[in-house]
Amino acid sequence: MSADTPRRSLGQLAGAALDPTQPAIVVDQVTETFRLYHERPSGLKERLYRMRRASYTDFNALEDVSFTVQHGESVAVIGPNGSGKSTLLKLLARILPPDDGTVLTNGRVASLLELGAGFHGDLTGRENIRLNGAILGLSGAEIAERFDEIVDFAGVGHLLDTAVRTYSSGLEVRLGFAVAVMVDPDILLVDEVLAVGDAEFQERSLERMRAFRDEGKTFLLVSHDLDAVRDMCDRAIVLDRGRVVFDGPVTEGVELYRQRVATRSAPRVDRQRGARQVAIDEVVLVGADGRAATEVPPSANLAARIRLRALTHVEVCSVGMVISRGDGTHLYELHTTWQGVGVGPLEPGQEATVEVRFTAHLLAGHYALACSVTDASGRETWAVVVDAARFAVQPAPGGAGLVDLSATAVVTDGPARRTGDGLVGPIPLSRLQRRQARG
Amino acid sequence: MVVEAPGGGEVTSQPGGIDAALVPSGPRRIALAVSIKLVELWRARELLVQLVRKELKVRYRNSALGFLWSMLTPVLMTAVFSVVFTQIVRIPVDDFPAFFISGYLVWQFLQNSCQGAIHSIVGNGELIKKVYFPREVLPLSHVFAQLIHLLLALLVLSPYLVYTRGLDVLVHLPTTLLAIALLTVFVSGIAMWFAGVNVIFRDLQELFVVIFQVWFYATPVIYPLALVTAQIDERFAWVATVIAINPATVFVELARLGLYGSVSATGDVVAPLTDGPPAWPNLVATGVATGWALLAFVLGYLVFLRRSRTFAKEV
Repeated sequence: MSADTPRRSLGQLAGAALDPTQPAIVVDQVTETFRLYHERPSGLKERLYRMRRASYTDFNALEDVSFTVQHGESVAVIGPNGSGKSTLLKLLARILPPDDGTVLTNGRVASLLELGAGFHGDLTGRENIRLNGAILGLSGAEIAERFDEIVDFAGVGHLLDTAVRTYSSGLEVRLGFAVAVMVDPDILLVDEVLAVGDAEFQERSLERMRAFRDEGKTFLLVSHDLDAVRDMCDRAIVLDRGRVVFDGPVTEGVELYRQRVATRSAPRVDRQRGARQVAIDEVVLVGADGRAATEVPPSANLAARIRLRALTHVEVCSVGMVISRGDGTHLYELHTTWQGVGVGPLEPGQEATVEVRFTAHLLAGHYALACSVTDASGRETWAVVVDAARFAVQPAPGGAGLVDLSATAVVTDGPARRTGDGLVGPIPLSRLQRRQARG
Repeated sequence: MVVEAPGGGEVTSQPGGIDAALVPSGPRRIALAVSIKLVELWRARELLVQLVRKELKVRYRNSALGFLWSMLTPVLMTAVFSVVFTQIVRIPVDDFPAFFISGYLVWQFLQNSCQGAIHSIVGNGELIKKVYFPREVLPLSHVFAQLIHLLLALLVLSPYLVYTRGLDVLVHLPTTLLAIALLTVFVSGIAMWFAGVNVIFRDLQELFVVIFQVWFYATPVIYPLALVTAQIDERFAWVATVIAINPATVFVELARLGLYGSVSATGDVVAPLTDGPPAWPNLVATGVATGWALLAFVLGYLVFLRRSRTFAKEV
């Protein structure tokens, strides 16, 4: 044991103090497994019978996840629902131990996983601040010291000695947030809490988190709000089905997530629910060449071919189409009657085909088409096919985002220089592919 | 205490930059784990204090008589048992109410702590899934809340005990305090065991009432231990053994020695028992109580810690 050997104090090991020579977070080959029981044995007889044979499947919420976060980094963890984001945060917060691999955090960790966790309705605001602070690991002296600041931040001064059960839910969340951000940790874990409270409070919360980040503290955010992610973080880790699919600069990560992951929505449901008057028999999306289109370049000319069949006598009806991104963002909607076109009159059994032609000014991603038939005024819906067709727009050089605005850039004043072949887009696909090949 | 980082001693570095000092081996590992746990518990003391305050406040709040209401059960039980066991079935001890309540308060401490603790993990599922803190503070908060309650109850009842048993009760206060201290350690272990095991075996809370009913009658609360050994039929000698082995017996007897006094058999048929004033405990009894307390605490805590790793998945 030489004199210059770095030593870790017990406080550091217990997570109370920070050791600046080590990274803030180390996650090494972590796998977390959940056991999903198919059917919980209930009765005594059944329980005895199945004592040793409860049927279950093991489900890996995280699989072989490794990354290191240095002090002062602000990292976003993004991914679709069920990709393991929250599990990862729980591992970092020590709520769950890893089933395999190692998770190390260096310094005091605070998590905003749930605001006002442990609030007790029968206790007053004052008592709940103390209790909640203690749950989050503050000492009595620290709570006393920050008490006024918390009250001030939450704006609950006049209700301090009232039982929390009489608070509005918004107020309760505010109080919870106020206590949580006063913990002043070395590592802050935040899970989707930006969306609480009113606009003013949200702004204050973001400000508080920015201040925290600017103090050089380590910050890890789980969110679906990609704008907030881009605003708050420098680095993004994209998770998909429990695996890290991307780890790098936040703009690339967000873009990748937008294109690859967020837009891949739930399994297709193109069943038609309870058609009345008119049924939609078939919806085909065709490209300029007249063939069914599934993958197209940006700004391709497309046509949605919708074949209807009347179930009764119909005087006139309107056919509608909605294009949305895989995550549900509503992009475009059109009903034929908006353009003064109706379908009809139709005899029972008579068929009709409507073709809606459009240019998909969209950038890389996955999109879905929904069709509906309504009466002419659009008040009554007769038939809906929610997920009638899907198409993907291929990544292409140029711009990034959602809409293809076909922008061009020119240096109008000052020296300009060609930097490449124009094929280097903002899209980290090549990097992703390389990464996957390596893995 | 410090531990070496990679590069020193037997520690080897691992892939991924893992600090290998965190996984030493052998006794050092145990010593390290225990020390980390102690630091963690020390840091969680504020939480324990707040949780105990919460327990007591929620329990005594919303009623003007607050604490006095919670005295109703032991007082009522004492009244009922006194009538039954002095007028109907005779248990030949002097000052039966004092005899009974000195044992019953101790018993209540055990039972109520476990009753609170058994739901403490399952009932706080949301909290456990969202925030990390040493889980043991949840069952322990019930134990300490009940401890404070026990001390208050003794304070309220002390005039009565002094009136019936003499000033010796006060003189031998250390006996009572020693008994309560050891009992607290014992109860902590049992409470943590119930809290931890109930998470995977929920039937335990259904069995709880039965377990404690049987345990109550197997503990000399209503009757003196001396009476069992003196009067039990040969064929039921095993019952006397069970009662004597029962750890709760040790604590009830020890606490009663300080609060009521000793009860011993005379061998006489007409007056089989004789009682003495509060006294100092003998070394054997203290040793046995200490042994049970430590055993229950260590086993209960180990089971709890083992279980607590997966609480967040199971609650």
